Amino acid sequence: MTNPIFWAGVLSLALIYGSIALVLNLESGWGGMWDLGTAGLLGAGGYSYVLLTLDNPDLGTRFLPGWPMWLAWIGASLFTGLVALAIAIPSLRLRREYFLITTLALAEIIRQLIVIQKDITRGHTGIANLDRPLDSLVDARTYNYIFLGITAFAAVIVYLITRRLGHSAYGRTLRGARDNEALALSLGKPVNQMRIKTFVLSGMLIGAIAPLYVFYLRAISPGVYASGITFHVWTALVLGGIGSAFGGLFGGLLLIVFTEGIGLVHIGAFPDAVKENFSIGLLLVLVLRFRPDGVFSERRTFRARTRTISESDTRTSDQLSTAGQK
Amino acid sequence: MQNVIFGIVTGCTLAIATTGFAMVRQSENFLNIAHAQMMALGAFIGVSLVESHGWNIFIAGLMAVVSVGIIGTVLAGVFFRPVKHQGGTVLLFTSIGLAMMIYAVNIAFFGNKARSFLSVGFGERRNFAGLNILDYELIIVGLTVLTIIFLQLFLTGTTLGRSVRAVASNDDLARIRGVPVGRVSNTVWFISSALAALSGVMIGYQSSVSPELGWRQILFVLAAAVLGGLRSISGVIVASLLLGIVMDVSVLYIPSAYRPVVAFGVLVLVLILKPEGILSVQRRKESVAT
Repeated sequence: MTNPIFWAGVLSLALIYGSIALVLNLESGWGGMWDLGTAGLLGAGGYSYVLLTLDNPDLGTRFLPGWPMWLAWIGASLFTGLVALAIAIPSLRLRREYFLITTLALAEIIRQLIVIQKDITRGHTGIANLDRPLDSLVDARTYNYIFLGITAFAAVIVYLITRRLGHSAYGRTLRGARDNEALALSLGKPVNQMRIKTFVLSGMLIGAIAPLYVFYLRAISPGVYASGITFHVWTALVLGGIGSAFGGLFGGLLLIVFTEGIGLVHIGAFPDAVKENFSIGLLLVLVLRFRPDGVFSERRTFRARTRTISESDTRTSDQLSTAGQK
Repeated sequence: MQNVIFGIVTGCTLAIATTGFAMVRQSENFLNIAHAQMMALGAFIGVSLVESHGWNIFIAGLMAVVSVGIIGTVLAGVFFRPVKHQGGTVLLFTSIGLAMMIYAVNIAFFGNKARSFLSVGFGERRNFAGLNILDYELIIVGLTVLTIIFLQLFLTGTTLGRSVRAVASNDDLARIRGVPVGRVSNTVWFISSALAALSGVMIGYQSSVSPELGWRQILFVLAAAVLGGLRSISGVIVASLLLGIVMDVSVLYIPSAYRPVVAFGVLVLVLILKPEGILSVQRRKESVAT
């Protein structure tokens, strides 16, 4: 239970979830696009990466490009961006719950297509024993530490990108359009175009994170990309705080460490699926009830900025009132 | 033609489930993702009573419908009512959390394996104008028609039913006019969960019951609900039948593995081609207002 190698693995998974939640925050928290299709984009990224690296004819698949790892990684990111574009153009014409349902349905279509295209993806069987980066340098046991380093690096990069975007003029416009679309449009902001761009960027980021999740699992199969993973990432984001720059990452860490911890505790003879789903569900319900803003709220992320604005506002109003007295 | 019959049966089971889903959407104003988990729960209660305790399927089904109705009402009181004032998004995510919890409870109580109504047959095969129709198909269609007629009579003919419709169309006004909002909400939850259980038993009877039923069916329910327009029960029924027929007829032309893809493809296509048909004027006003 106190095995550091095990916890290094848990922490890497947590960082992967956290990174995905950060991207989700960019599109949903700030962009206001309530996307329930994360599983589909992760699936597109994971599968395109694996399929691009395939070079083993014994697998019986028709598609064996055998690209090197780094090239396939970039390819996966670009391909997922394209998939995101194909999803964004039609579905962004819809609002709120209609958008949510469309993205959920499209994610399921992606998964079913993966299942059906057996001659390329091997269907339900999936592909196992995949290579990992820097795999040959160390033995399998200590690899977890290297992997922790890789995921931590990725999480920091994703955090810096999303945080920079969130605080930029672009991010402010995005949040403005989320809160009052009519106003943003009347100010001449290309709201729809911005949303499509944000969605595609999110897709590319998810496509870049997806191979990490494949490395973690060391295998790929369509079952991984069912809607469950979307809900787990959303739970992480809600826990950490929707709209907060750091919340997603924190929520991912909290969620995974919590569920893996629960997995170690023997409660009766319940299988892991029971403990995991029940605890995540309960956690989500409790946070929504007692702390709906999450641990880090959006207000907290942008507090410094809000304060300066409100101070200058009071100053102006003071000046106005003194001017009025004169 | 034979596949149209299959489609109608599929559509009927979907219509029952989606009607319950749409009722909650109308009076509680959120998409209840946990709805399909209640279907799985109902199917599990039904299959356990029949297979482990030797009950008659109709009595077992009735038992499942009533007990899931009560469970649903209690769960709504515990989980949804306290966060109702926080709006649709919080309710939606609460329902996702609740769905995961019910899913876990289903596995804990009923196991992770698929089970089926083995001891109950499909009945006699009848021949109508060259079409084969099994007894159970007639029963499912008949039960669906009866359920919908009863629901319609309840909603239009009784005081409580009219209150349900009043709350669905404008709950603030209904409250001011002295409609017992709490009782209406309980009624809606009971009916919705009961319908979920009925549909779950029907689906489980035709194929098999597994915990995954809940995650699989929610997508079809969402598709039918959106196609039908979230505002009208009759629209939902037509959409469910249409979706069922399209799915089962598509099997003739493309591999049956594509069945769900066809359903969601239709949904996405309709949403994209004709969003104005679904987003009515009233909905647009709402989305501007909020």
